[in-house]
Amino acid sequence: MEFTVPDELRYAESHEWIETTDGNVRVGISDFAQDELGDIVFVDLPSEGDELDRGEEFGVVESIKAVSDLYSPVAGTVTAVNEDVFDEPELINESPFDDGWMMELEPSEGTDHLLSPEEYRDQI
Amino acid sequence: MQHHTQTIWNDSESEGNEPLLSEKRLETVEIEDTGLPDDLTRDSLELPELSEPELARHYTRLSQMNYGIDSGPYPLGSCTMKYNPKFTEDIAALPTASAHPDRDADSVQGILEVYHELQGYLAEIGGMDAVTLQPPAGAAGEYAGLLVTKAYHEENGEGEQRTDVIIPASAHGTNFASAALVGYNVIELPEDDDGRVDLDALDAAVDDSTAALMLTNPNTLGLFERDIEEIASLIHDAGGLLYYDGANLNALLGRGRPGDMGFDIMHYNVHKTFATPHGGGGPGAGPIGVSEELERFLPDPHVRESGDGDGYELATPEKTVGKVHGAKGNWLVLLKAHAYISRLGYEGLQDASAKAVLNANYLASQIDLEIPFEPFHHEFVASGGEQDAADFAKRMLDYGVHPPTTKWPGIVSEALMTEPTEAESKTTLDQLAEAFNAVTGEDDDALEQAPDQTSVKRIDQTIAARDPILSWHGLDD
Amino acid sequence: MSRKTTLTSRAEEIYAESDGTPYAPHTESQVDEMLSAIGADSVEELFDIPESIRYDGEFDIESASEQETRQQLTETLSKNETPTEFLGRGYYAHYVPSIVDHISQRSEFITSYTQYQPEVTQGFLQVLFEYQSLLAELTGLEIANCSMYDAATALGEAATLAARLRQTSGSRVLVPDYLRAERRSVLENYVDGADMTVSEFATDDGVTTVEEIERAIDDDVVMVHLETPTPDGIIEENLAEIGSLLEDRDTLFCLGSDPVALSVLQSPGEVGADIVVGDASVLGLPAAYGMGLGLFACREEFLRQVPGRLVGVSEDSDGTRSYTLTLQTREQHIRRERATSNICTNQAWVALRTAIHAAYLGPSGLVALAEECHRLPEQLATRLDEIDGVTAPIRDRHHFREFQARLEPDARDVAEELNENGFAIHALDADTIQICVTDANADAVDDLVRSVEEVMA
Repeated sequence: MEFTVPDELRYAESHEWIETTDGNVRVGISDFAQDELGDIVFVDLPSEGDELDRGEEFGVVESIKAVSDLYSPVAGTVTAVNEDVFDEPELINESPFDDGWMMELEPSEGTDHLLSPEEYRDQI
Repeated sequence: MQHHTQTIWNDSESEGNEPLLSEKRLETVEIEDTGLPDDLTRDSLELPELSEPELARHYTRLSQMNYGIDSGPYPLGSCTMKYNPKFTEDIAALPTASAHPDRDADSVQGILEVYHELQGYLAEIGGMDAVTLQPPAGAAGEYAGLLVTKAYHEENGEGEQRTDVIIPASAHGTNFASAALVGYNVIELPEDDDGRVDLDALDAAVDDSTAALMLTNPNTLGLFERDIEEIASLIHDAGGLLYYDGANLNALLGRGRPGDMGFDIMHYNVHKTFATPHGGGGPGAGPIGVSEELERFLPDPHVRESGDGDGYELATPEKTVGKVHGAKGNWLVLLKAHAYISRLGYEGLQDASAKAVLNANYLASQIDLEIPFEPFHHEFVASGGEQDAADFAKRMLDYGVHPPTTKWPGIVSEALMTEPTEAESKTTLDQLAEAFNAVTGEDDDALEQAPDQTSVKRIDQTIAARDPILSWHGLDD
Repeated sequence: MSRKTTLTSRAEEIYAESDGTPYAPHTESQVDEMLSAIGADSVEELFDIPESIRYDGEFDIESASEQETRQQLTETLSKNETPTEFLGRGYYAHYVPSIVDHISQRSEFITSYTQYQPEVTQGFLQVLFEYQSLLAELTGLEIANCSMYDAATALGEAATLAARLRQTSGSRVLVPDYLRAERRSVLENYVDGADMTVSEFATDDGVTTVEEIERAIDDDVVMVHLETPTPDGIIEENLAEIGSLLEDRDTLFCLGSDPVALSVLQSPGEVGADIVVGDASVLGLPAAYGMGLGLFACREEFLRQVPGRLVGVSEDSDGTRSYTLTLQTREQHIRRERATSNICTNQAWVALRTAIHAAYLGPSGLVALAEECHRLPEQLATRLDEIDGVTAPIRDRHHFREFQARLEPDARDVAEELNENGFAIHALDADTIQICVTDANADAVDDLVRSVEEVMA
């Protein structure tokens, strides 16, 4: 099966993606990850202002058959969360890289430690 | 004539489901003049108000929309859905079986005698030295057994040090959850290529922080852990205890006893091995047996012969872990188990295992799916291969049988864990095999659209979980 | 395929010569056919058990016919005395209508398993959904599971839920001095794994007051538990005030009760309870030596932390409303060591019986029964109070089903003499007895009063 792995993003081994725009970063989970989980029924995300370490648990996604913890790909402060996914968790299945984003951070570090699209494709 | 009578199968002109009681007649009663001050009472109570004849029809229809063992085979792996003898219900319904839990021991000698005899039966069947009947289910038995484990290590001054419980990856989910409830860390053990405990991995995992290893034997693949003596030595040499999960005891009756294999603690699932009905999810009972050394930690109270040898008493074990149930467990379930064991005796019990193992092996020989691990005993795990096991199961419903347990253990891809039990005839096993074989190789469309022959079609799990409606109050809007 | 061994265990001999279990349908020739299909010569060959640990003994358990087994157990059980029970303290009997036995014994219900295939178990699922709905109405809380083992384990589960929900760590659960020792012991075991302890607060003349809670509480307390009625038979009077006190703290309010009492008493949801626990089998199950049905209800916001099974509404592929077990990712078979509880097998069939009994009574029947449970003990206490040497009730409170009385001569002796006359009551200490009266034993009240008069004379 072919999964979408957009070239402009970087990826964590735990299947989160990260997009850098104007110094802020946006985080979600990959097409591969949403497919593995199946229909997502519930999402729990942090609050604005929360400080996260790299690799720290920032939330949970739950499908009918599995629960996955979400890990922050970089350290930083939460500046926004996507409230739409609380009411419509299916956005994560339908549009993992776009409408199904999860949170935005003001990062306190770069993204060099993360996987490139090529490296992530190899992993999945 | 109108046909409102829905049953499980789509073989009549049945249509529409049975309305909720609340949709039939809901009435609000105002609470007043109760003799209590108004500020201590509620304002009103709104519940269904129906006559007995209406209720009899309501529940009878609902029963017709439900599958039980008396409806057909129920080959759920690790669940041991065997026939539940009817006479045990009559014994449990005797007025003399009814008593308040605070009655003096002297006045409930009959109950205590049944307890004491059943403790003895179970001790003998499991090869254990002492048995308590208090845990109300298998998971509660695990929990009680781990409380005993903890108390034992604490007494040895190793309570702080022994923090880990080792559990094979293929074990029942309750093992992991029970260990966590007692406050233990869980160390998951991989299987080896033969589907059994990986001795090297076990050796690496065991050290002086090991509190216990929990094992099911035969394991969930139906395989006997042939290295059990070596496993027991490994654990005991490191100072840990060996715990036996009794879910698969129906494979061993009269042929192998956990106590003889080196297990220190075990639980019995009387609602599996000893034929008490599952009742749509319970009640069960999960007695535990322990070695002599651990008897003093058993839950309070423990039934034993009284000092004068003239009856039975409720005693507090010297170093008891306290209680795991508010009273003395699920008494009526235990009574039914006693009746079953008394009826079968040794001859019947050992034969039950013989026929259970025969049935699993015969069924396996008749189905086309791959069964990666053998020799199995009372259950086997077939692989759906390219077919999704959950869909496979739904499609089996269309052939009029209940499907096996699916997607577990993970070592078999698209696992179909199948346990026919001794209660099925060759004819029924042939029907089951036909169902398996009919579904094998069917295309994804047929599977995904299944079931088709039931009156209720495939139920959407996602709708239920995304916007949970858990009472009729939630249906109003 | 050949798996020949030379094993000849005792089991094999027996197998050859006996009829074995009556609950396996095999004929001898079928066994042979099956063995040949498998490619084995004997059933024993199929057992892959090393010889060193193979059991070659024989259990000392004789088989018996159904008739003999019934006779034997009937005889054993006849050794139980059969006094008229005026016992309560958390375990209550009400008359169980015949429809409960007849429907719950239908084999489609009693011989079914957990509803892992909802398409063929809609009947039981709907009953459990109706049970959840009944409890939601009675507790005033949005969620009720279906079910825990008993009141004690439900309380234990409530405390572990409270610990999981806490923003900051806490290590204590507060319970009243009237909590049954058995329930406290179960609770202590449940919370010990989460490194918590249980401490007690005092009550004032049988009821909990805001002052006593304020005195006992601090930031370390994750949950406060109260019961109404209390095991002493007293209806708590300050629930709303205690509810508002706890609302402002990071502490859950857990209330113990039962479906009959809740039919008339304040709605727990309205007095600020976050969780309701208790024994729901006061409806549906006669006295069963303490076997029960753990009631567990809580606020909607705790949904993903709820222990145990939940039935929810869904649709089938034709769009027909249907029911299914839901939110199973909370449970042990998926979440394993991170599950909200280890519970798997529960008390579903007892929940079925409770649901039928409650439906049989309906709201008017439930309210009438609850009113009777208030009236009967007050009437009986008044009658006993007229007897010399008896003070009843001891406390000037509102009673439900039961009350305590003070006796001048030794209460234990009196209880024993009453027992000889065929009445079982609680003797709590040298001065105090407790008597429980409901619809189940109300017809024996005159005899009991006469007997107390005799004994006290």
